[in-house]
Amino acid sequence: MVAGRSKYRNLIYFFILISPFLAAGLSLFIGRYPIDPVDLFHIIISNLTGTEVRYPTAYRTVIFEVRLPRIILGLLVGASLSAAGATFQGIFRNPLVSPYILGISSGAAFGAALSIAIVPQFPVQISALLFSLIAVGFAYYIASSRGSTPVISLILSGVIVSAIFDSMLSIIQIAVNERALQSIVYWLMGSLGAASWSRVNSALPLAAAGMMIIFLLRWRLNVLALGDEEARGVGMNTDLYKALFVLAAALAASAVVSVVGIIGFVGLVVPHMIRMLFGPDHTHLIPLCMAFGATFMVLVDDIARAGMGFEVPVGVITTLIGAPFFAYLLRSTRSGGWE
Amino acid sequence: MHKISVVAAFACLVLAVSAACCAEITIKDDLGREVKINSPSERVVFMMENALKTYYAVGDPENIVALKDDKWMRKLLEDIFPVIDPDFEKKLTVSMTGDRVDLESLARADPDLVVLWATTPDDVNIKAIEETLGVPVFAIFVRSIDDVLHQVDTMGAISDRMERAAEVKKIMHDYMNITTNVTSNIPESERPKVYWMWTDVLGTAGVNSGINDLIELAGGVNVMKFAENETAMTMEHPVVNLETLIKLNPDVIYMWYNENLDPEDILTGDDFKGWKDINAVKNGRVYEIRNPYLFDAFSPRMPLALLHVAMDLHPDKFRDVDMNRTIDDFHVDMWGVHYPSMEKA
Repeated sequence: MVAGRSKYRNLIYFFILISPFLAAGLSLFIGRYPIDPVDLFHIIISNLTGTEVRYPTAYRTVIFEVRLPRIILGLLVGASLSAAGATFQGIFRNPLVSPYILGISSGAAFGAALSIAIVPQFPVQISALLFSLIAVGFAYYIASSRGSTPVISLILSGVIVSAIFDSMLSIIQIAVNERALQSIVYWLMGSLGAASWSRVNSALPLAAAGMMIIFLLRWRLNVLALGDEEARGVGMNTDLYKALFVLAAALAASAVVSVVGIIGFVGLVVPHMIRMLFGPDHTHLIPLCMAFGATFMVLVDDIARAGMGFEVPVGVITTLIGAPFFAYLLRSTRSGGWE
Repeated sequence: MHKISVVAAFACLVLAVSAACCAEITIKDDLGREVKINSPSERVVFMMENALKTYYAVGDPENIVALKDDKWMRKLLEDIFPVIDPDFEKKLTVSMTGDRVDLESLARADPDLVVLWATTPDDVNIKAIEETLGVPVFAIFVRSIDDVLHQVDTMGAISDRMERAAEVKKIMHDYMNITTNVTSNIPESERPKVYWMWTDVLGTAGVNSGINDLIELAGGVNVMKFAENETAMTMEHPVVNLETLIKLNPDVIYMWYNENLDPEDILTGDDFKGWKDINAVKNGRVYEIRNPYLFDAFSPRMPLALLHVAMDLHPDKFRDVDMNRTIDDFHVDMWGVHYPSMEKA
């Protein structure tokens, strides 16, 4: 099944790379507010060319203030979580690693709960971002010893930090009122329902910076994935690059988690899917993960926002749709594409 | 023989007195469960705050032995409870671990009845308390305005003060009439479509909810009545999609008390630009219940919540109503306390 042995490899490769644009274009036509596809097309063209067309103002609002920011945010979330997941899996050489391994989700959840329930003057997004980065920094600090940061120590310190923040989150949940608890639980579920341009703008700089670092240095992940001893043997400063990758992946994941909450599955599974199709070479794996993760997230969110009259947490659908596909790929490949 | 007669007579007397002061009765709780309780129950534990308000309007404060250790409630608590019940601050507290009642702290109170919120007869707390401690549990589950009024009867039965319960219900009806005498005459065409906003912003009240009743009595229509999806319409707390909300296009957005948001944020905030074509936003008709205790729709203060909402929905029809005066009068009638001075009437 690995695409290297498939005659369609290049075609699939190219299709995955352009798929975010196709998914975004298609998603503009999907939603609960009834707009005729022809009218929608006219409005988009008129917006691009600056010509006047007469339609209800609500049409423009729905397209450009509701759907488009949600689609862009979906692309950003999917790309960031998938890139972060692939990076952590590469560094740790561990297939069970998700973008949240170093306490990003636990830190963000605690930060959000703190803002929702105790310090409402402190914006939720900033609080979530701050505490997710504190969690990662703390995990890295615990794992570092005498100038080096062993992979196993990093994983264990991530577990410790996650547990600490989870416990502090539980304390908040016990102490708050029912309505605040409801808000915290809804935030923890993760949703793109509150997407807006301001949220896109607040997540984009950090997420883009993180992804850019990962993309530019992606071939070094191949060396790191050999293990610390081998990587040092070929002259790589493993601690420097490990720190750089952890920082970049943490920035990308924290930036999106702080605006949409905790969305599971994507960052864990998309890298595996791409690895199964194209093998473990990070020079291809990283851009393909970004593209496929973005597409996957947007299409799944289309179902979450348009499938029913009410919002279904996107993480639920991500798992329901992603899991069978993942299972199929798993049965079709040897060793999950790691060899 | 004489001694035996005296002892027998004394025993009969004790039995008669105990039967008279604490008859065992069977009542149905809000979940339809049959619960055997003493009437009056003399060692009641309240694990919820709005039922406690009802009890204080009807029953004897001395019969409350413990309260839920509600940090949120205590932090924001008004002065009304300590005024009505001088021993309020000395009551034992029952702690919770997550959503589980701590049985040890409950046992310490030695209750003869526990009143708590539950949505199903299989609730873990009901089972744990009844099976482990052998204490009857009265489950409160309020889904409508009728349930709020029924709660007064419940507290009357628990405290064996049915006459006072009838008085309290009359007070509530009288104050509800201030609103409904006006709103019942409002034609359908003048009733605004109302979107009720819980703290999760896109979470709202379905048509089978107490808030739906409140909106209708206040002279509005719950916008969820026009939702196409029947599941969403009938859920107690559906979370709508923003496009669905734009399509429903409510005339009024009514926020429950929200520490993180104000009406101004909905009207002009960067995160709410997608809301700008909703009639409620275009016309600046976004309101908030700013005091969740004073205007608690699921307590005896429901008539005040009703009036609050009605005055926002139909300001022109309630110009002559002095809200502050009404609140004060209501508190005097209900609890014998002036508001906000908290002086005994």
